Amino acid sequence: MKFDFLGRFSRNRGALVGAVVILGVALLAILAPLVYPTDPLRIVAQPELWPGEDPAYPLGTDSLGRDILAMIVHGARATLLIGLFASSVATIIGVGMGATAGYFGGWIDEIAMRAAELFQTIPNLIFVLTIVLILGSTLQNIVIAIGIVSWTPIARMTRAEFLALRDREFVQACRAMGMGNGRIILGEILPNALPPVIVLSSLVVAGAILFESAVSFLGLGDPNIASWGRLVGDGRQLIRSSWYICAIPGVAIMITVLCLNLIGDGLNDALNPKLRDR
Amino acid sequence: MAGGLAVSSRQLAALRLLRRRLIQAVPLMLGVVVINFVLIHLAPGSFLELMTAENQVSDPATVALLRKTYGMDDPLWLQLAKYVWALLHFDFGFSYRQNMPVLQAITIHLPATLLLMVSSITLAFAVGVAAGVVASIKVRTVWDTLVSVAAMFFFAAPSFWLGIMMIVLFAVKLGWMPVGGMATIGGGGGVLDILHHLILPTLALGLFYAAIYARVMRSSMLEVSQLDFVRTARAKGLSRRQVTVGHVLRNALLPVVTILGVQMGTVLAGSVVIESVFSWPGVGSLLFDSVSSRNYPVVLGILVLGSLVVIAANIAVDLVYMWLDPRIEIR
Amino acid sequence: MRPLEVRDLGTTLFTRRGAMKAVDGMNLSVGAGETVALVGESGCGKSLTALSIMRLLPDPPARIVGGQVILNGRDLVALPEQAMLDIRGREIGMIFQDPMSSLNPVATVGAQIAEVLAAHTDLGRRQARARVLELLDQVGMPDAERRLDAYPHQLSGGMCQRVMIAMAIACSPSVLIADEPTTALDVTVQAQVLTLLKRLQTEAGMAMIFITHDLGVVAEIADRVVVMYAGRKVEEATVDDLFEAPLHPYTAGLIGATPVPGAERAARLADIPGVVPALNELPAGCAFAPRCKRVMDRCWKEQPALTELRPGRRVACFAAELDAA
Repeated sequence: MKFDFLGRFSRNRGALVGAVVILGVALLAILAPLVYPTDPLRIVAQPELWPGEDPAYPLGTDSLGRDILAMIVHGARATLLIGLFASSVATIIGVGMGATAGYFGGWIDEIAMRAAELFQTIPNLIFVLTIVLILGSTLQNIVIAIGIVSWTPIARMTRAEFLALRDREFVQACRAMGMGNGRIILGEILPNALPPVIVLSSLVVAGAILFESAVSFLGLGDPNIASWGRLVGDGRQLIRSSWYICAIPGVAIMITVLCLNLIGDGLNDALNPKLRDR
Repeated sequence: MAGGLAVSSRQLAALRLLRRRLIQAVPLMLGVVVINFVLIHLAPGSFLELMTAENQVSDPATVALLRKTYGMDDPLWLQLAKYVWALLHFDFGFSYRQNMPVLQAITIHLPATLLLMVSSITLAFAVGVAAGVVASIKVRTVWDTLVSVAAMFFFAAPSFWLGIMMIVLFAVKLGWMPVGGMATIGGGGGVLDILHHLILPTLALGLFYAAIYARVMRSSMLEVSQLDFVRTARAKGLSRRQVTVGHVLRNALLPVVTILGVQMGTVLAGSVVIESVFSWPGVGSLLFDSVSSRNYPVVLGILVLGSLVVIAANIAVDLVYMWLDPRIEIR
Repeated sequence: MRPLEVRDLGTTLFTRRGAMKAVDGMNLSVGAGETVALVGESGCGKSLTALSIMRLLPDPPARIVGGQVILNGRDLVALPEQAMLDIRGREIGMIFQDPMSSLNPVATVGAQIAEVLAAHTDLGRRQARARVLELLDQVGMPDAERRLDAYPHQLSGGMCQRVMIAMAIACSPSVLIADEPTTALDVTVQAQVLTLLKRLQTEAGMAMIFITHDLGVVAEIADRVVVMYAGRKVEEATVDDLFEAPLHPYTAGLIGATPVPGAERAARLADIPGVVPALNELPAGCAFAPRCKRVMDRCWKEQPALTELRPGRRVACFAAELDAA
């Protein structure tokens, strides 16, 4: 079954390209300290060198003279890690809420859905900025804040899956055997409910990356982290003369998000072959 | 006579929806307020200290007054009750930075944001639906691919980056558009001038959502055109265009309108970033300024009012959906 | 000249698994005021025949590959699509199987009927509304004036079918194709709809093709019957002849498999063993051979041609030919 799934996934060329690129980016992020062992925030050359002007700095330098390529490579780390952690938080909360709501139903479901509605109503960026303001803009806070505003779609999807699966025969058989609720939820239903959640998770990672970029672009992110969004923000003053400082990190974000979307589409097609509209 | 009855029954259903949603809004807003309250008390250091320190209030009489107003010595539940009471009286506190009540500061900036939001959503809807329809009619051709690629691009591009790139191209290089702001400084501030300034921010904010709607519309159109009643419409001798517009489109719009409602919160949030990029004088700029200057009452006020706007927008979208789909019954 | 004559119609499905002849060499003719029932199991090609006549085939994958459809003297197969728009709904009407899902859910029933009028006549709005009311009365819609502004989901299945019928006959077509119009309805409503169709047909002198897999309905409504199997016509007769003496083993099987009211409960329903073959796995020779009780050697090698034993009495079966000899 698994090979079948992989086969379907690879047939989607876009998804394959996306997966390869993301792996490349991840590799770059992991290997960053090897490729660019020195601190990327170190000033290395004259400021505002255009890409291609100096072959030693293929992507040019920024307003202070720092190597943009080095910053991009290191920024990959920050961006990917934040995206992964934030979406993990969102997934844990979302799956937890959705599973409980879908399995137990009744007033538990009501409360969970009301909570989901609440977090969908509060404008997400405003909420994150408020948390950042009040609790401080550290990496942990930002990751948790992004997770808190992103869990709703995962919860809804998990809940729908649980609602569909909880009345199936195999669950009833487990109950008849005397299995406790916890075991049923975690051991029996969850593995079956996960595929659509996995599809959603790639989109959530993409969303988290966009989110974090926006926060650091505004200059309200963790000051010690030089994520790509922050690089775009830093280059704002120079758009008249050296707009490449803004452009390049933004392209990096876009490519990453694009690939994640392609992977998400590929996963979707691979898991739901009947739903393809072609 | 018969016609009159049918129309008013739908109007009645709409009013019932309105009432139900307004009633539902109350616990929702209460939830927002409670979250606000929790956030206030999560702040390291007492809220009062933060307020007075940041705003350089040192006069002991004022401090005592603030203490009383914010009920710092009261038990927690009483503080919450007082807070809710204050909000109900539209008392969101006072902003020393703007030297006016918080509510006033926010409402001064609100129209600009609403303008941006409305124009972005309208653009997103119009462009997205049109693109999706075209892609579905010309499915598997060059046009379809073009729309899909464009949608992928705009869905992945961070809106703030898109905004900056647009400024570089259209304002700095080509000089067609202003670099920022809502109106030309020193200009008359006429409607046309504002609209001119509105173009780039609207595009930057709206194209992301247009991409989503295009995709959804495309697959919705393809799905609906397979349904039985489309075959009936063709059997009646209606032309392809009549069938596509009158039968397929009207039904295919429904999922897109649903999504519209769900995303209201993110649109408002997105406008915060765009306003920063384009120096658009809306609530987003106020928020950014307030976060930077640690102006707590304003930030919290924006949180509450922002949620209110989202709720109102959601109700509006629900009503539109009801108007489009007569199958919705509100019990 | 008869209103509808289908000559040697062929429709092929072009799929990834190959090209399949869904309708092969179909000949059909219907006279004014006559009802021809097109009978067969699911997948035998009867609906595709109807859609081919109307030129409403889903393309891809289906396409007419040969033959003629002569409606009132004109060959529809050769017509450009623009001309077909005039003909559909005006000279030939069609009603479908599931009335609830065959109506536009977001438009009122009156508006949908008025659409047909707007497409083919130039009645003004008020006149159109009056005509719609007339039509609803004609199809026996109770409380027509109120129902005009109702939406399909507010009506029952039977009422939705009446609306469809009203739409189909609005411009007094010479031919009406009914594709399993009663299959999705309750038995009592079924009877009402059948009576209605017969009445309308008599009043207007319409030619009707009635597609169904239910022989009980055939007995009630048809004048002549055409039996299809795997895309080809295998038997044709008047309704009395068919029930009295079915010649093709498939027809005999169908009639035997039809529950007869009043029969002893102990009598088991005769069943045709096997299933209809997939179109891309048709055997050489007669398509029915694998399931036929009277199969002979010849049946596996040669495809029996449709032979006319008497005027109007045709069958494609070697065994039947032997019987008649």
